Amino acid sequence: MMSPEADPTVDEQLRDGILQALALDPRTLALDIRVGVLSGFAHLAGKVPSLELRTLTERIVSSVPGVRGVANRIEAPGAPSPARTVHLSPRDEWSPSRHE
Amino acid sequence: MPSDVHPSRAALVISRLPSFSGLDAATLEAVARAASSRHYDAGQVIYLEGEPATALYVLETGWVKATRMTPDGREQALTFLRPVDIFGDIAVFTGTSYPGTVVALEDVEAWAIDGATFLDLTARYPQLALACIRRLAERVLYFIGLVEDLSLRSVETRLASTLLKHAEAREGRLIVPRRSWTTFDEMAVRLGTVRDVLSRALHTLEDEAYSRWNATKSPCSIRRDWRSAARSDLRHDKSRIHGAGPSVSSYRMDPLLVCRR
Repeated sequence: MMSPEADPTVDEQLRDGILQALALDPRTLALDIRVGVLSGFAHLAGKVPSLELRTLTERIVSSVPGVRGVANRIEAPGAPSPARTVHLSPRDEWSPSRHE
Repeated sequence: MPSDVHPSRAALVISRLPSFSGLDAATLEAVARAASSRHYDAGQVIYLEGEPATALYVLETGWVKATRMTPDGREQALTFLRPVDIFGDIAVFTGTSYPGTVVALEDVEAWAIDGATFLDLTARYPQLALACIRRLAERVLYFIGLVEDLSLRSVETRLASTLLKHAEAREGRLIVPRRSWTTFDEMAVRLGTVRDVLSRALHTLEDEAYSRWNATKSPCSIRRDWRSAARSDLRHDKSRIHGAGPSVSSYRMDPLLVCRR
């Protein structure tokens, strides 16, 4: 299936929304998380002290309206190496899948 | 780290970029002064696709890979880079976010140059602008080849082509040196496929190579050895893929090896 056209403005707004969502949660506020958004997919990187925070960050990002999927490369103790987990939103027309 | 500490080292590295080797000392010095050294551990993300392009990078040591995620969540390799090379420049020149994610495959030393500063330098130093155009043009040609590969060539062809491209003649044998990060998964990413398909491609390539070479009575024993060794080493995660053959050129001249019937 064809990928939707990347819209820089929409992606930029989505990225702002993600950063805002992470800043609004006291548990993720102080984390050093890097965020990129392309074609509605959020890409995360950085380093957090626990696997729980890694998962929480991903959950917060996934819940931002408009996010089609999350590629999580955040490093954390116990995270898969190379740290990359992909979750596609079930709301999306593409079938959900998970890759480690 | 401020570049003032090592401007001459930065200038030396930048001068080793193939497209930048003709730059005069003043231009090199100006670029070097804008560069800051960076270290990345193996596996560390240098930048993410969709992240604002704030800098471009000159790779001094270590390999990196640039990938882009496909709509189904698969990682597609855009390119694998080794020193000395430049990356991140496309997004800096287009003023967009980075089009791919770049990850250090091994410990990496690089020089980061602020994007806005670099654009300013290209306006002030025409030689630098020409060097960038040369490098970007080379990259356009590379991506034309990649599109051709992904759209027109089978996985078997891409696999054989990649092995041959990296083959080196050593002591009368063909060897494809393998880096520690060249896992089966990494190879699948490089070829734009997945593990299962790559595994089948190895089988297919071997089978077809057998029948073809036997039929033509070409020196099949040599090539059969190469095939078997390549497959065996990939499976068992050994450090090298060995090849038995008289020279690199003899393999490069043999289209039967890389074409699916």
